[in-house]
Amino acid sequence: MLDVANLVTAYGKIEALKGVTLQAERGRITCLLGPNGAGKTTLMMSIAGILQPQRGSIRLDGTDLTGLTPARIVAQGVALVPENRLVFPQMSVRENLLAGAYQRNDKVEIAADIERMYERFPRLRERREQLAGTLSGGEQQMLAVARALMSRPSVLLMDEPSLGLAPMVVAEIFRIVGELNRDGTTIFLVEQNAHMALQVAHHFYLMEQGRVTFSGTPGQLAEDEVIQRAYLGARRTN
Amino acid sequence: MIDFVQNTIDGVMIGSSYALLALGFTLIFGVMRRLNLSYGPSIMIGAYLGTLVYVQLSAGPAVVIAATVIGAVLAGVYVERLCFAPMAAGAGIASMVSSFAIWMQLEQAAILVLPRHTYPFPPLATGAPLTLGPFLLRVDHLVTLGCAFALSAGVQLLLYRSRFGLALRAIINDPVAAHLVGINVRTAVMLAFALASAVGGIAGYLVLATDQQVTPMFGMWATFKGLIAMMIGGLGSIPGAIVGGLVLGIVEAQSQWYFGPQVRDLLAYVLLFACLVLRPGGLLGEPPARESALGRGSA
Amino acid sequence: MDDYLVSVLSNIGVISFVALSAYLLLLTGEISFGQQAFFAIGAYAAGIATALWGWPLGAALVWGALAGGTAAVLVGLPTLRLHGLYFAVATLAFAETVRLLFEQFRYQVTVDGEQVGPNGTDGFRGIRYIFENDVGSLQFLGLIYALLLAALAAFVLLERSRLGVAFRMIGEDATLAALNGIAVARTKLLAAGLAGALAGVGGGLYAHLTTYVEPRIFDVMLGVHSLAYGLIGGLGTAFGPLLGVLIDIGLLESVRAFAGYRMIIFGGLVALLLILRPRGLLDERVVHRIRRAWFRLLVRPPATERLNRDLP
Repeated sequence: MLDVANLVTAYGKIEALKGVTLQAERGRITCLLGPNGAGKTTLMMSIAGILQPQRGSIRLDGTDLTGLTPARIVAQGVALVPENRLVFPQMSVRENLLAGAYQRNDKVEIAADIERMYERFPRLRERREQLAGTLSGGEQQMLAVARALMSRPSVLLMDEPSLGLAPMVVAEIFRIVGELNRDGTTIFLVEQNAHMALQVAHHFYLMEQGRVTFSGTPGQLAEDEVIQRAYLGARRTN
Repeated sequence: MIDFVQNTIDGVMIGSSYALLALGFTLIFGVMRRLNLSYGPSIMIGAYLGTLVYVQLSAGPAVVIAATVIGAVLAGVYVERLCFAPMAAGAGIASMVSSFAIWMQLEQAAILVLPRHTYPFPPLATGAPLTLGPFLLRVDHLVTLGCAFALSAGVQLLLYRSRFGLALRAIINDPVAAHLVGINVRTAVMLAFALASAVGGIAGYLVLATDQQVTPMFGMWATFKGLIAMMIGGLGSIPGAIVGGLVLGIVEAQSQWYFGPQVRDLLAYVLLFACLVLRPGGLLGEPPARESALGRGSA
Repeated sequence: MDDYLVSVLSNIGVISFVALSAYLLLLTGEISFGQQAFFAIGAYAAGIATALWGWPLGAALVWGALAGGTAAVLVGLPTLRLHGLYFAVATLAFAETVRLLFEQFRYQVTVDGEQVGPNGTDGFRGIRYIFENDVGSLQFLGLIYALLLAALAAFVLLERSRLGVAFRMIGEDATLAALNGIAVARTKLLAAGLAGALAGVGGGLYAHLTTYVEPRIFDVMLGVHSLAYGLIGGLGTAFGPLLGVLIDIGLLESVRAFAGYRMIIFGGLVALLLILRPRGLLDERVVHRIRRAWFRLLVRPPATERLNRDLP
C-alpha cells in the first residue's frame, strides 16, 4: 500500500500541499480528482522524489520513501508517468524505452520487455526508430506509459494521462490502465476527466487548495451533489 | 599557392587542438546548458600539476600526461561541486559568474605554487618535421590531429552506444524525465564534467607540449579558444566542435601569414561575431530555441 | 584625504559606471560580456576631444557618452535578437574586435611640439586636461561622484517609471512582456543604448583620471568583472553593482594584507555567496524588505497594512 501521511510541500513560503493524507491500496486503481492548482501535480512530484516535502511521510508497504532520490524511489518500484508526458524528444522510441529500464541490469529481460511493450502498444513498434518528439500526442502518452512500465513498477503513478488527447485516444489509455491493473499493477491516477475515471477506479479522493476534501467509493462520489455539479454535471446532461 | 596549402595544413593542425578544447566544452554545455568559464583554468591547473612533476621530479611524458589529466579532472569536479551542483534551476547566470570567480581563484593558486611567469613544458616529439612534397608536417601536430578525431569518435560512441551515454542524452533531453526513469542525474552530471575535463586535459597537454612552455594565461586562452570554436561549430554538437575548431584554426593560420598576428586575432573575433549574427546555431548546430540558453527560463 | 584613498575612491567611482552599464542590460535579461567596449569607446572619444581638439571636459564627456551609446545601438541592432549565451558571446566577440581595432588605431597630431593621440598598442598618452586646467584630484573625485549620483538618481527614477517596469518585465519573460503590449525590440535597444552611454561616460572619466589609456585595459576581464559586480552586490537595485565594486576594489584590491591571496579568498567567497544568494546580496527580496521597513518608518501604516503584514 502506498501511504501518504500529513504531507506538506512548499514553494518558498507558499504551501502547495497543506498536510495531505491518502492511501492507494495494493492491486487497485485509486483516482485523485481536483481543480487546477489544487496541488495534484505537486503531490505526484513529491511522491516521485522530484520535490522535497517539508513535513509528513510517504511509505510503500511500510518502507519509508520520504526524502529518497527519484532514482531510489524508482528502484523501490514506484514509477511516475508525468503530466505532459515528458518523453525524451531527441531520442528514438526504442531509446526512450531503454532509458525507462535504466535501473535494471538484465539485458535479456529488458529486450524481452521492450518486445512486450511493442505488443501492448503496436504503434510504438511501427515507430520504434522514430524520434519521440515527432510522435503524436497520443503516441507520446503511450510511450510515456510504456517507458514507466519498463522499470517494472509495482505502483504506477499517472498524472493526467488524458490531458489534451482526443476522446478516442483517452478511451484507449483508460482501457490500458484497466488492463495493467488486472495484471497486478497498483495504479494511482490524477484525473480531471472524472467520467472516464469513474469507469475504472475503485477509490476516489478529491483535493482542493492543498487539502483532501473527499474520500470515497465511486458510488459515494456519484451521490455527492457538490462533486456531481463540479466534476460530473456537465457530462450528465449529454 | 604552396603558402596557402601549407597555411591550411598548419591551420588544420592548430585547429585540431581548438577542436579538442571545444569538444570538452560542448560536452559540459550540452549536459548543463550552462557556461563554465573555469573550463580553461581547470585545464591550466592540470598543466601546472604536470609541470610540477616535470620540474620537481623530472618525470617522463607518461607521468606528465597522467598528472595533467588528473589535475584537470580534479579541478573540473571541484568547479562542478562548487559552481554548478548547488545551484537551483534558473540560476544559470549565478553558475557562470561563480565559475568566473573560481577561475580567478585557480589562477592565483597556480601562481602561488609556481610563481615564475613561464615554465618549460616537456615536448611530445622532438626531431625534424616530416616532409610531404613541398609541405612540412610536425609530428606533435599530427598526434594532436589524430587525438582530436579519435577522442571525438570515442565521445560520440560513448554517447550513443553506452548506458552512461544513454543517461547523459536523457538528461540533455529532459532533466526531470531523466530523474523519473531512475537516472542519478547529479552523479551523471559530475561524471560528464570529469569526462569533459579529461578531454580538456589531453587537449591542454598536446597544446603545451607543442609550445613547450606554460603560463597562467593558458587558462584564459583555453576557455576562449574552446568557446569560440564551440560557438562557430554549433553549441552542443560534437561534429560541430571539430568543424568549428578546424575552421578557426585555418582562418587564424591564413590571416597570420598574410596579415600578421594582430589581424589574426581580430579576424577570429569578426568571424565569431558574423557567425553568431548570421547563423546563431553555428555551422552544424541547430538554431537556438527561443528560450534562453543561460537566462532564468532554462535550467 | 591622502592620495591613495583618493585614487582608490576615484577608481571605484569610474568602474561603477561599467558595472551599472552591465546591470542595466541584466535588468532586461541579457548578459553582456562586452560593456568594456563602450567604456573604451567613451575613453578614446572623450580623450581625443580634449587632448586633440581642445574641447572642454563637459562637452568631451557628453561626446564620449554619445559615442558609447551610438555604438551600443548599432551593435544592438543585429545582436539583440540573439539571446542568452548567444548574445553574451556576440558581445564578447564585438568587444574584443573593438579592442583589437584600437590596437590598430593611430591618430596623432602635434600639440605644443609633442605628438599626442592614440598610437596603436602603445596606447593614448597625454590626456592632460585636468592638469592643464588645474583641476585637483579631489575636485575630479567630486565630479566622478556627482555624475555617479546623477546616474543612480536616474536609476531610482527609472525603477519607478513605466520604462523601468518594462525593462524588468522583459527580463522576467520577454514573451509575456510582448503580450502585455511592450515593444520588446525597441525597449531592449533603448536599454542597450542607455547602457552604452553610461559606460561611455565612465570611459571619458577614466581617460581623464589616468591621463593614459591603452587597448589592453579594455579586455574581457573588465567585462566579466563588471557583470560579476551586479551579481555579487545584488540584482534588486542599482546600489547592488556599486556594492559589488566596493567589495572587490575597495576591500580586497586595496587592503594590502590580502596581496597574493586576494583571489583565493574572493573567488571562494563569491562562489559560496552565489550558492546562498544566486541573485546577489541586495536581491529583489532584500530590496523589497528594506523598502517596506523604510516606508513604515516614514509613514505610519494604516490598520489594514498592519493586519496584512504577516501574510505571505
